[in-house]
Amino acid sequence: MASQQHSPPSRAGGAHGSTAGERSPLRRVTDGPAAEWISTAARLGLAVVWAWAGLAKVSDPAVAAQAVRAYRLLPEGLVKPVGYGLPFLEIALAVLLVIGLGVRIAAVISAVLLLTFIAGISSAWARGISIDCGCFGGGGAVDASQTEYLQEILRDIGFLLLALWLVFRPRTKVSVDAWLAA
Amino acid sequence: MSEKNREGKRTARERMREDRAAQEARDSRKKKMIVLGSVIAVLAVAVGVGVVVQNQRSKPDTPTASPAGAIGNKNLVIPDGPANAPSTLTVYEDPRCPACGQFERQFAPTIDQLQDQGKLYGNYHIVSFIDRHDNGKGSKNGANALACAQDAGYFRAYHDVLYRNQPDETVDSWKDKSQLIALAKQVPGLDTPAFESCVNSNKFGSWVSAVEQDFDKSGYTSTPTILLNGKPIYPKNGNDEITPDNLVKWVNEANAGKTPGTTGSASASPAPTSTAAETDPNQPVPPAAG
Repeated sequence: MASQQHSPPSRAGGAHGSTAGERSPLRRVTDGPAAEWISTAARLGLAVVWAWAGLAKVSDPAVAAQAVRAYRLLPEGLVKPVGYGLPFLEIALAVLLVIGLGVRIAAVISAVLLLTFIAGISSAWARGISIDCGCFGGGGAVDASQTEYLQEILRDIGFLLLALWLVFRPRTKVSVDAWLAA
Repeated sequence: MSEKNREGKRTARERMREDRAAQEARDSRKKKMIVLGSVIAVLAVAVGVGVVVQNQRSKPDTPTASPAGAIGNKNLVIPDGPANAPSTLTVYEDPRCPACGQFERQFAPTIDQLQDQGKLYGNYHIVSFIDRHDNGKGSKNGANALACAQDAGYFRAYHDVLYRNQPDETVDSWKDKSQLIALAKQVPGLDTPAFESCVNSNKFGSWVSAVEQDFDKSGYTSTPTILLNGKPIYPKNGNDEITPDNLVKWVNEANAGKTPGTTGSASASPAPTSTAAETDPNQPVPPAAG
């Protein structure tokens, strides 16, 4: 492929119309004007995920704490701070993504959080304990026949892909970031 | 001379352009740092506020009121039978849990008999986690009503009535407190205005929540969890399936050579909160403590 000094992979495309003719269709999608729309959809999609996850956990602090405790990973002293704080972190991420402020850093934190969740679920699976991930409320011990580790991990990987897209293509339409850059 | 001059102008223009570019880069970097800083501040404040708010909203793990005669740390355990019996049966059960209903319908007569023979001291943890799994209020209302019955001195009888009339797990009949009061009419003497007000006002709500939080931390994850002298015996004790006959056999084996406790129905009145209050339900009661 010809050298494309205009568009290093970490920069969102859009302003580089001159080389568009040489690009493969894939590059056109990931770097072209459509990319901002894809990123906008990813941003709002991830915002919905975090809002849903956070709001579902806010209503009953004891349930949220028990969902954390059920992983048997954290010492008792950290169970409540994590169980109480995590839903608010998720809601705050949702708010940032909805308004589009600091999309890249919000996406980086989202990705780190999702990797942590995937690691936690995998660890529970590997240790043979039977829990609900408590990802969207609920959580705690369940019958061994009711575990859904694979589905939970695949779902989180899907969300992780949204976050990673935004890490590399954080430029979106109708966002505070765009307004600040203008 | 003029050549040189032109060259000087060109570089000055270039320098200005470079300066401007550098300034723009600095501005843009500064903007980015401000965004980064505000994002991290928003997240940190949200988590901090969240922890504080949820801490205040969460119910304390120490109850504000406990039913009369409740024992153990923070009075979270309802005793049944003689406290000086050589063996202790610790039962974690949820009013809505179907396996608990099955267990009670099959084992209650045997357990009541062992208690009345002075062989067994029942320690009941009335947990309420089904409400979380299936949503609803039936477990919590049922647990509160059981605490009210304990307070009135009718725990055993009402407990047996509740499990005999347990609704299907998925049907949250007991969210309606009047059903719990209606069932109390099957226990002669229980259905008083005091009992009804206790059920309707959720008098022992904080106790119910504290019992559940204690169960959360116990490490036991399902109900019924049945321990004989601290050792799990449900659904199996070693390789032996639990049956009423086996339960009698295990209790007799554990009690061999030990003095039985007080005989007779100890459930008619609440046990006094004296020495029994310090008994750890997870520890075997020392033989012939009395």
